[in-house]
Amino acid sequence: MSQHVSQHGLKLSIGGPAAILARVAAIVGNTVREAGRAKLFYGLLGGALLLLAFSVVLSDLALVDQKARLVQSFGMAVIPLMCVGTAILLGAVLLHKEIDKKTLYAILPKPIRRSEFILGKLLGLSTLLLAELAVLTLCWWAVLVLRGGELTAPMLRGMGLQYVELLLVTSIALFFSALSRPVLSGVLTTGVFIAGRVTYVINDLLSATKGVFAEVPAMRALGKLLVAVVPDLGTFSVSDQILQGWEVPWTYVSAATLYGLSWAAVFAIGAVLLFERRDFT
Amino acid sequence: MTQPAEQIVDPSRGPEILRLRQLSKTFRVGFWATRVQAVRDVSAVMYQGESIGYLGPNGSGKTTSIKCMLALIQPSSGKIELFGRSPTDPLARARVGYLPESPYFYDYLTPVEVCEYVGKLYGLDARTRKQRTQELLGLVGLDQAAKRPLRGFSKGMLQRIGIAQSLMADPDLLIWDEPLSGLDPLGRKEVRELMIELRRQGKSLFFSSHVLTDIEALCDGVCILDRGVAVAQGRLADLLRRDALESEALLDLPADPQLEAGLRAELAKIPGLALQQLPTGVQAVLPTQAVPALIQALMQGGGQLRELSARRDSLEDLFMRKALQRSDGGQP
Repeated sequence: MSQHVSQHGLKLSIGGPAAILARVAAIVGNTVREAGRAKLFYGLLGGALLLLAFSVVLSDLALVDQKARLVQSFGMAVIPLMCVGTAILLGAVLLHKEIDKKTLYAILPKPIRRSEFILGKLLGLSTLLLAELAVLTLCWWAVLVLRGGELTAPMLRGMGLQYVELLLVTSIALFFSALSRPVLSGVLTTGVFIAGRVTYVINDLLSATKGVFAEVPAMRALGKLLVAVVPDLGTFSVSDQILQGWEVPWTYVSAATLYGLSWAAVFAIGAVLLFERRDFT
Repeated sequence: MTQPAEQIVDPSRGPEILRLRQLSKTFRVGFWATRVQAVRDVSAVMYQGESIGYLGPNGSGKTTSIKCMLALIQPSSGKIELFGRSPTDPLARARVGYLPESPYFYDYLTPVEVCEYVGKLYGLDARTRKQRTQELLGLVGLDQAAKRPLRGFSKGMLQRIGIAQSLMADPDLLIWDEPLSGLDPLGRKEVRELMIELRRQGKSLFFSSHVLTDIEALCDGVCILDRGVAVAQGRLADLLRRDALESEALLDLPADPQLEAGLRAELAKIPGLALQQLPTGVQAVLPTQAVPALIQALMQGGGQLRELSARRDSLEDLFMRKALQRSDGGQP
């Protein structure tokens, strides 16, 4: 039975994919609206725009043929960082705010599964991050054109990969948000983000023949554990290749996307499992 | 919810809609994870069309057990059936309209948007959502403030939007946690009338309140919780003592002091009669079987009987009696 007809003949669609999608879409819409009202979001967006403007000023100091390159590298560093900041800061408070403000108590008793609520929250914040990334990329493009550069296909693919990283960071933040309070969630997510960004370094150290990771068994075990449990976020950063003028092949983009989405799913499922067990007193 | 679950089933009543079987909830609090038992072995049944008051002092476990019924809290032990299903099943909750205690909604939304949002969660189509929103905001008196964000709303207005959203999907069972709190006298009257109207429409009502007179006026039955234990439950008619074993009379004694003294002496001979001076006259409480003796004494002594009524137990009396029994270590 996926439909219920009320005493006065109202038809309620409860089960089935369409009904589930409609409920998730309602949560997504409200999450976008709620997160989009956060001053923090506009602060980070404004900060990123200021830094892009600053890159124009900074490029005046560069050699004539290096002006566009400076703006290019500046954008590729600033945009992902600011978006990751948004993902961590908004993601860490995403669930706590609902509990703290008691808005959750009016929502969860409705015919919605907790997993649908989590999915809606995740997709809602991801939508907002997509909008932020798109706005910043457009501004970056404008600045690039101003400095005689252009937005190339590899650069767009690079930004696409950054978005996959953002999805992953958002699901990590959501996972910790389902587990702990905002400050701790923020710290833990930042920790995983930093560890994820240096995973490739640990990998290199593990494959070296000298050094603590090669010679001390305990450190080697720790290094291997870190590499196993922390997603390699370096996978999504292709700015060095782009700046070198190398191609970013679709095969790489596809594999990295699959890798990122798989990890995002792991953290999202973890968040659902934690959230399902919580009591809302 | 008029009797413990084990004692059921009364085929003369409507279908069973809510059943608690030995519901218990224990929380672990503080650094040392101390166990606090919020609800202990509560069993109850509620039938369609009934109106049940959930009563108890602060911290008695009312809100905890209500949250268990809506799957906001998982019971430590026991079982809950909502329309024959687990409360975790969305199909069961689709038939419930819940009003939380001190309802909070997204303060950037307007009442129209809250109803729209809730309607989407219940899977209502756009046309029905719009129609219901208009109807309900009119019903709770928020049609003039329909497009104002909630952030500027008073507590009473938030309570009204809470009521409207709980009715959005035309639910069979309304679970309202303190629905009359935060309302002004006029608002309370309107909500009481709304509750009576909803009952008339055949809705089942389960609501908690601290105000005993509200429960007495609106409910068929009560469940009284005290420190997590159901100390009394059943139909009000069965629980309250209306057996007329005692009567209450308001008397006018003669103005002449000698006659008054004589009458008082006669009245004192009636077994079990107690007199109390009130501003409006003299009140006599006496066994009902002694009423003829009272009337005879009055007629002979020159007094007058102004009022006579069977003495009736109030919900407050019942509540105090049960709470006292537990404090004394007696069984509920």
